[in-house]
Amino acid sequence: MQNLSRIGITGLGVICAIGNNADEVLYSLKKGVSGIGPVRYLQTRHTEIPVGEVKLSNREMADMLGLERDRLYSRTSLMGAISIRQALRQTGIRSLAGKRVAVISGTTVGVMDLVENFRPQILRGEIPDNIPSGNECGHSTREMAEFAGIPQAQCCTISTACSSALNSIITGCEMLQRDEADIVIAGGSEALSRFHLNGFNSLMILDKKRCRPFDATRAGLNLGEGAAFVVMQKNPTDALSYVAGYGNRCDAFHQTASSENGDGAFLAMSDALSMAGLRPEDIGYVNAHGTGTPDNDISESRAIRRLFKDTVPPVSSTKAFTGHTTSASGSIEAVICILAIRHGFLPANLGWKNLIEGGIRPTNGKKGVALKYAMCNSFGFGGNDSSIILSGDEFGLQYADGDFAVETLADEKVCDVESFGQLKEYVSPMESRRMGKLMKAAILSAFKALKISGTECPDAIITGTSHGMQETGNRFLDDIIANGEELLSPTLFMQSTHNTIGSSIAIRTGCHGYNITYSQGDDSLGWALKDAREKIRSGRARTVLVGCYDESSEGVDARTLILGRK
Amino acid sequence: MNDDLILELKNQIIDALNLEELTPEDIDADAPLFGAGLGLDSIDALELIVILDKNYGIKLASPAEGKAIFKSVAAIAEYVAKNRSR
Repeated sequence: MQNLSRIGITGLGVICAIGNNADEVLYSLKKGVSGIGPVRYLQTRHTEIPVGEVKLSNREMADMLGLERDRLYSRTSLMGAISIRQALRQTGIRSLAGKRVAVISGTTVGVMDLVENFRPQILRGEIPDNIPSGNECGHSTREMAEFAGIPQAQCCTISTACSSALNSIITGCEMLQRDEADIVIAGGSEALSRFHLNGFNSLMILDKKRCRPFDATRAGLNLGEGAAFVVMQKNPTDALSYVAGYGNRCDAFHQTASSENGDGAFLAMSDALSMAGLRPEDIGYVNAHGTGTPDNDISESRAIRRLFKDTVPPVSSTKAFTGHTTSASGSIEAVICILAIRHGFLPANLGWKNLIEGGIRPTNGKKGVALKYAMCNSFGFGGNDSSIILSGDEFGLQYADGDFAVETLADEKVCDVESFGQLKEYVSPMESRRMGKLMKAAILSAFKALKISGTECPDAIITGTSHGMQETGNRFLDDIIANGEELLSPTLFMQSTHNTIGSSIAIRTGCHGYNITYSQGDDSLGWALKDAREKIRSGRARTVLVGCYDESSEGVDARTLILGRK
Repeated sequence: MNDDLILELKNQIIDALNLEELTPEDIDADAPLFGAGLGLDSIDALELIVILDKNYGIKLASPAEGKAIFKSVAAIAEYVAKNRSR
C-alpha cells in the first residue's frame, strides 16, 4: 500500500558565510559574492587556510537571541537557534501551544568548538558549568531548542558526517508521514573547530586558495560553518516548497574516499527520483555535493552521468560561496535549492573554468529560469550518501506502508576487551590494526549477531551513540594541543565521527542500503530501534542491523541486534 | 648503504601504522608497500608523510607527491638520505 501526503516546507532559516539570513544569502548567490576568506573568529595557528566563517562573534549572536552575554556558548547552538527562529517566524504560526513539535538537527562535531577550549581543564577533572565533558552531539540540539524558545520540543540528532542535515530533513519527513509530530523543524548546524580544521588538514584535502569544485585545477575544500533549518508540516494550506522524494544509501567503499563510479551517490539519487516518480529530464537543477576534493568531484560527476546520461541538467556546487559547512551543508544547500526555485535562478558554480576529463560541466549561473524540481546531494565520510528532490508545486510524497510483524533474530553484547581475541574470526589484523576499543567491540558484536541470525548482509544499518568515538577523538584532540596543531595523525581523525561504526559495518558487509546514526544521549538506541522497526513494519527492509555503542575511560559497551520481518 | 636508515624507517612505520604484529624483518625493504606488497592504503600514505615531516624535516605538498616516493622502504630511505634537513 502507498500513502500519499504532502510534506510542505513552510518556513526556512539560514546563516552561513554569505549571509545571516535567507535574504542576504539570496543576494550573495545572485551577485556572485563568496564568503570564503581569512580566519577571523576561530582561534587557530592555521591562518594560511581560508575558511567560510559566519561573520558574527558569539556575543553578537547571543545578543540576537537575547541570551546572557557573559556565558560561554558553542557557535553550533547559537547558529542553529538563530536559523530555527527565522524559520518559525516565516511560517506565521502564532502559537505552538498544544502542538507536537520536533527539532531534528544534524551535527558531527557538535559543541566541540566550545569543548576543545576546555580540554586541559577537563583532563584535570575540572569541568566548568555548562560545558559538556565530551562530544555529545545531542547536547547542541537541546541547547538550540532552548535558545530558540521552544524548550518543550522533542529533540533528535542525526550524525552521519557531512550528510547529517539532509538526513535530518529525511527523518523529519518520515516522522510527519507517520503522524509522530505536527511540526518538524529539521536541518543542521556545525561550527568551525580546531578539531575538524586540523582533521581535514591531516587528510591533506584543504585548498589554500578558494575551492574550485568540478574544476580540473581543484585542490581540495574550504571548511565553512553555518546552520539551516526548515519547518515542515503535513498537508499545509500553503508552502514554500514540497519534498518530492529522497534517498539515503551507503557507498560502502572507504572511510574517507568515494568509490570510483560513485555507487552510493548514484543509488541515493536514483532512489530519490523513483520515489518521486520523476524522469531524469524532469530535474531542472542539481545542487551537487561538489566539495572541491579531487576524489569527490570526479566520483560525483560519474554518478550524475550514470543517472542522467545525455540529459545532465544544470549542476552547480555552491561551496565556493559558503565553504563546506560539513554537517550543516545538506540543509544549507536544500535552502539554496528552495531559494533557486522560488526566485527562478540557477546558483553559479563560482569561478569554474576548466573541465575535468570525464567530469560534468557545471553552470556558471543563470537568472530568469522557471525551476520546478531541484535535486540536492549531500555525501559524508563513511559513504553516507543522501539526495533529496524539492518541488516548487504541491507534491504528494510516497510512503510505503505495510504491516509486517517484527522479530529480533539476534541480540549480542560485547562489554569487555578480553573478548577482542574473537575479532580475528571476522576481520584481518591488517583491518583491525587501526581500530580503537569501541570500534573493536562494535564490529565484534555486529558480526556475531549477523552470524547468529544467518544474515550475510542486512538491508539497512542503523546505529546509535551518545558520545561516539571518545577514545580516538580525545587522542586526536590531545595531539592537537601537544603538537601545536602540526603533524597530526589522519588515522585518529578518520574514525572520530559518530557514523564511523555504522559505515565500517557497511563497508565490511557490502551493505549499500539505508544507513543512519542517531546521537541523542540516552535516547540514541531508542531512536535507532524505532527507525529499524518502522523500516521493517512498512516493508522497506527485511533485515536491519541495529547497534548501540558507547565507551567511557573505564570500558566499552557495544550491543547489536538484528531485527527482521516475521 | 642506508641499512641503519632502513631499519629506523621500518620501526617508525610499524609504530605509526599500528603494524605491531610485524617485526622489521617481516618487511622486505624492496617490496611494494601499497597494493600487492604490504597492502597499505591512502591513509597510511598520509601517515608516511607525517613521518617524513616529523622525523626528517621533509615536507610534501600533496599525497600525489608521496605516491612516487613511497614505492618501498628502500625507496623512502633513498629519498630521505637525499632530502633530509634533520
